[in-house]
Amino acid sequence: MEHAKPLGGKIFTPPILFLSALFLISAYFLVLRYMNGIGYVSNLTDNQSWGLWKVVGVLIGAAFVNGGYVTAFFVYIMNKGAYHRFVRQAVLFSLLGYSFAGLSLVYDTGRYINLLNFFIPKYMQPNSALFEVGVCITAYIVVLAIEFLPTLLEKIMPDGKAQELAATLHGFLNKILFLTVAFGVVLPTMHQSGLGQLAMLFGQKLSPLWQTPLISLLYVVSSIFMGFCIVTALECVYTSNFKKKEYVNLLGTMMKVAGYVAILYIILRWIEVVRNGAVGQAFVFDMKANFFWLEWILIIVGLYYVRNEQARTSPKNLFLGASFMMSSGLLYRLNTYIIGYQSVQGQSYFPSFPELMISVGMFALQLVLFITIVKIFPVMEKE
Amino acid sequence: MNIKRRNFLKGIAGAGVGVAASPLLTSKALASEVKKLEANHIGMLYDATKCIGCKSCEVACKKANNMPVEYDAEGIYDAPRDLSKESLNIIKLYKGPEGISFIKRQCMHCVDPSCVSGCPTSALNKTANGIVTYDKDACCGCRYCQMNCPFNIPKFEFDDFYGEIKKCELCRTTNLVENGQPACTEACPTGAVIFGKVTSLLAEAKQRLEIDNKRSANSADKVNYINQVYGEFEGGGTSVLYLSKVPFEKLGLPNLPDYSQASLSEGIQHTLYQGLIAPAVIYAGLAAIAFKNRSGKKED
Repeated sequence: MEHAKPLGGKIFTPPILFLSALFLISAYFLVLRYMNGIGYVSNLTDNQSWGLWKVVGVLIGAAFVNGGYVTAFFVYIMNKGAYHRFVRQAVLFSLLGYSFAGLSLVYDTGRYINLLNFFIPKYMQPNSALFEVGVCITAYIVVLAIEFLPTLLEKIMPDGKAQELAATLHGFLNKILFLTVAFGVVLPTMHQSGLGQLAMLFGQKLSPLWQTPLISLLYVVSSIFMGFCIVTALECVYTSNFKKKEYVNLLGTMMKVAGYVAILYIILRWIEVVRNGAVGQAFVFDMKANFFWLEWILIIVGLYYVRNEQARTSPKNLFLGASFMMSSGLLYRLNTYIIGYQSVQGQSYFPSFPELMISVGMFALQLVLFITIVKIFPVMEKE
Repeated sequence: MNIKRRNFLKGIAGAGVGVAASPLLTSKALASEVKKLEANHIGMLYDATKCIGCKSCEVACKKANNMPVEYDAEGIYDAPRDLSKESLNIIKLYKGPEGISFIKRQCMHCVDPSCVSGCPTSALNKTANGIVTYDKDACCGCRYCQMNCPFNIPKFEFDDFYGEIKKCELCRTTNLVENGQPACTEACPTGAVIFGKVTSLLAEAKQRLEIDNKRSANSADKVNYINQVYGEFEGGGTSVLYLSKVPFEKLGLPNLPDYSQASLSEGIQHTLYQGLIAPAVIYAGLAAIAFKNRSGKKED
């Protein structure tokens, strides 16, 4: 990563100002939420007590940022050195994503101060998948921070004073990187499976189109192809390296692997739908069934864009393929927690405007931080 | 060396799939892990055919547990429509082709509760005598209990800036201590809901079914019970049992499998994480590979 450089440029560009404004709106609603309770700003009720915040913040957020997970696996475990150029931005995106996933719990949980009980032995509850998810996400944030630390240190090092300390620390971190990286692969696997496992306790409240004992495995498998997709999509947005054939080939290979993983996922999902005897329910064409089919349409369209070597030479195809496949994975998470979930008959849920704005604003803040950091610190490779 | 590494990776992948698929193969084995009803567990038996809908139990519950009065949408005094953060116990009316029936709803105090299994911070617990309890000092307000309760019992104070979960705790700190039984069973004038050890309540319920089955079809005393004690097996069993002449599902009691969701979920989790051996082995393997790759030549 000797080639990584700060992108530079002005910090306060119009997009940054726009995103910051979105964040300020969400901050206003957050103040209302802390003064008057969750019900004051959201449409959450006793029958649908998890909504947009949990799904966007924790489930989708965690899946969205799996780039760090798959690139670490590719580079350090599969020893694909050429992919090293994707590591830093993926790790940064993951670090921000997970931190915001953790942060979303602070406004989504009703008794947020007691979140500290996750780390107090007498309150720990290892039977709970949610406990496991909480602990894994926290541990993974620490791991990602360590993985990202060398990038920060490189920026400080030329300054002379901090140089010695930074160089020592940098050297040490590089020496133990193999330990960190292994955690960086094990922890996301554990907590992705935990996120799926959460839905198992819903029992019959989750439609048989989604409910299965394999749900934890399905979450892991889908998070892997989503990880490749997010790295590819981000690269397409952020770089102008597409004139280089070698570069496009790297992304193409990632999408090829993503495609195979996605096919495995489709097969596993359908085995479980058939085993549940739920095929009939898919043809009722009610809201649940329609969202179920939307998942399949998205993933098939995505796979079509990256169907062969020829198709994968076009950056446009790579971007569209990655985006469609990723949308399918995100919708799978939305479906298992909201659309496919029903605790009483006739129940319906749609987020309120303040609820929506809080999620949008927090995501905007995340983007602001990402864009600003890549401008200041050596994250991206620049031609 | 590369060959070895690939084999190792295949091994990990294979083991992962195998372990995750094991619930399919071992769902029978998991059933033996289901937590069992114990002799000292206390609970209630509600016979819907004996209930006259007087709601004395609702009033007694509110009094004993110091719960606020609740107005309905039309502003009617203390006539809650359903369980809520203010009503831990409720009598509802069913009207249908089978005639009318009342139904009492409150926490079922499951034998193997989903809420206890899912709670990340041990706020929900099952005591030695079978009561499912709530501790607001442990609760982080994640509301996973609401999401996973098959009976939709826990309610949350969404309008409070630092809300709590509210649910029936069988008067464990109030009427049970003072008068030896929950307020609702104490107040019931017809004996429609009675308190006792779950095992004796189950025997009583079965006896009622047996006696009624023996009555001739045109006997005036014939109740025509549904031939089932709801809660004996449902969701792995509950400490509150029900008898009715109207199908239980129509009264809002879901048709559940005879195992608890918690046993299935914990069974998988225990298989994957037993002693953290599997994660530790995979971690060590990955670290070894990353260590070797660190100095080794990079391939493309």
